[in-house]
Amino acid sequence: MSFVEAWLASFPGFMAPLLLAALGLILCERAGVLNLGAEGIMAVGAMTGAVASLSGVGPLSALGLGAGAGLLVALPFILAVVVLRAAQIPAGLALVALGLGASAALGRDHTHKPFDGLGAMPGPALLEDLPLIGGMLFAQDALVYASLMAAMGLWWYLQRTQTGLRLRAVGEDTATADAAGVDVQFQQLAALVPGCLLIGLAGAYLSVAGSQIWTEGMVAGRGWIAVALVVFARWSPLRAIVGATLFGAAEALIPRLQTLGLDVPVYILSMTPYVLTIAVLVLFARPGRLRGNEPGALGRPYIRQDR
Amino acid sequence: MLERITLERRAGAGPVRQTAAYTGSLVMAIALSLGVLVAAGVPIGALYQELVVQVFLAPTGQAQTLTAATPMLLVGLSAALCLRLKFWNIGLEGQLLLGGIFATGVALTDLGGPVRLALMLIASAIGGALWIAAPLLLRLRLGVSEVIVTLMMTNIAYLLLQHLLFGAFGDPTYNFPSSPAFDDAERLPRLGFGSVHLGLVIALAAVAAVAWISYRTPFGFASRFAGHNPEAARTVGFNTTWIIVVSVLAAGALSGLAGGIIVAGTEFRLSQQIGLHATFNGIVIAALARNEPLWIVPVSLLIAGLTVASASLKVFYGVSEGVVLIIQGIILFCLVAGQFLTTYRVSLTPIEAVR
Repeated sequence: MSFVEAWLASFPGFMAPLLLAALGLILCERAGVLNLGAEGIMAVGAMTGAVASLSGVGPLSALGLGAGAGLLVALPFILAVVVLRAAQIPAGLALVALGLGASAALGRDHTHKPFDGLGAMPGPALLEDLPLIGGMLFAQDALVYASLMAAMGLWWYLQRTQTGLRLRAVGEDTATADAAGVDVQFQQLAALVPGCLLIGLAGAYLSVAGSQIWTEGMVAGRGWIAVALVVFARWSPLRAIVGATLFGAAEALIPRLQTLGLDVPVYILSMTPYVLTIAVLVLFARPGRLRGNEPGALGRPYIRQDR
Repeated sequence: MLERITLERRAGAGPVRQTAAYTGSLVMAIALSLGVLVAAGVPIGALYQELVVQVFLAPTGQAQTLTAATPMLLVGLSAALCLRLKFWNIGLEGQLLLGGIFATGVALTDLGGPVRLALMLIASAIGGALWIAAPLLLRLRLGVSEVIVTLMMTNIAYLLLQHLLFGAFGDPTYNFPSSPAFDDAERLPRLGFGSVHLGLVIALAAVAAVAWISYRTPFGFASRFAGHNPEAARTVGFNTTWIIVVSVLAAGALSGLAGGIIVAGTEFRLSQQIGLHATFNGIVIAALARNEPLWIVPVSLLIAGLTVASASLKVFYGVSEGVVLIIQGIILFCLVAGQFLTTYRVSLTPIEAVR
């Protein structure tokens, strides 16, 4: 397999978790809630997915359990933000600590134990053997395809349905939405619960479909990259596909370049995703002007008195 | 009669309510943390011994706690300077690592002759300030969120550290990725109480300096004002950009200094372990101290005690590093949730009045 072909075939596996996490974050942020806890939720999802797989649960159930565990660890955050109207940035940081700590403590006896996770979907051999793009398009696992469909589904939900409109209204101008009779707290819950499930699923994907092993610190900043990706995507699920592809392709390049035996020091090479994240934020910064599609009420606790 | 619960914003909370909310969240945090420790396998009877006697009352424990508190004073102070101005620096660990790298660079190249130790500490402060300068510039010039940039800079700093440890700074005779041990002239002198070293005096001096500037100078007044209400501060004529630049660079320098003090005071070499949880430690300390410089001292001792205790809990009861992180998350959550009591008032309104 040529270098480019192998790279193209491997990048969707890096794209899918970033896309799923970004979609979850878009849901939260479109409802006005800034969820910085993604890194912690993903860690719990990854650990749970791996432990479930190690104890003999099938890959799809393991993914589901990982997503559920992600939601579970996010419950204090959801409660603090929606009910207690807590400050969202420190609450998100607390969630990161809680998630990283819980995954490290509970997964301690299960690190570095490989298992058989989610493999590629069986496809027609004829298509898989297509030169260059065959592997990229047809030899992926089910969640890669599902994540793309989820992005389109989320776009449709936000832009084309009544409930999606209510959700966006809460994030854009909470007071007006409230005056128009939208139940603000219910809408935020309706966004945060599936949002955190998606982020947990993204984490579970990392272990169940990606590395097929659990190691502490394996999320490696992807939760934060997803937070930046949402800014890049300007809160649109469809543009998130573009962003996740870009970041996924860059991330997939690292192991490929290493197999080439290039004389680039490995640790310098590993900085790429982080440097790229900063570069993307800089390129898409809009100083002084209104920030693109950023939800107007993002990060602001709301009470009816503010109306 | 039907009533509905509504929230109102408080104009301000009195000292009694403030204290009650703070104590309440602290008690809640301690109770939950003890629960976590018991669940992690520590016998209830051992808690007092391990968490109080061993780290605060026994002399060897006191010395260990003071040593552990030394860099924490600096990162807590650093976090408080940024958080006070709502600059979300979550890259304390990156700045600390750069400080350690810069100090080690000076030590390994034998720069500075007789003042090498001083030069190491100055270099570490410069390293930390440099590492925060980029996020600061991006935030002020382009409006890029410092939350993500500071964190990415931490990841980059950690990879840079590994690059150096496996390369230019590495010690080939040592099995672990680490720099060669420092010479005696490159180590901070001990103060004669266990492993407590001169760094503690430097850290306390930094706390005193920041406290003096905060409470006794026009700049300190302006920065506290700007933290509470940036709009009003600008209207009154304070240069808020200048306040942010000076405070944030100083914060970076303090975190860097913490790294320099760790390598020159306790580790005597650069290794992968020097940055452990600096970001969360710093933010938890600043949050508990409510960004007040003098409160940083007792709070740092408390968190240092917890860290020292966790080391022995790890050995005797198999409590992992993750549990310490969980406890930090719990403390932060309780403090954030406790703000509810000082920020909002719950009132019951008859439903007819709402309609």
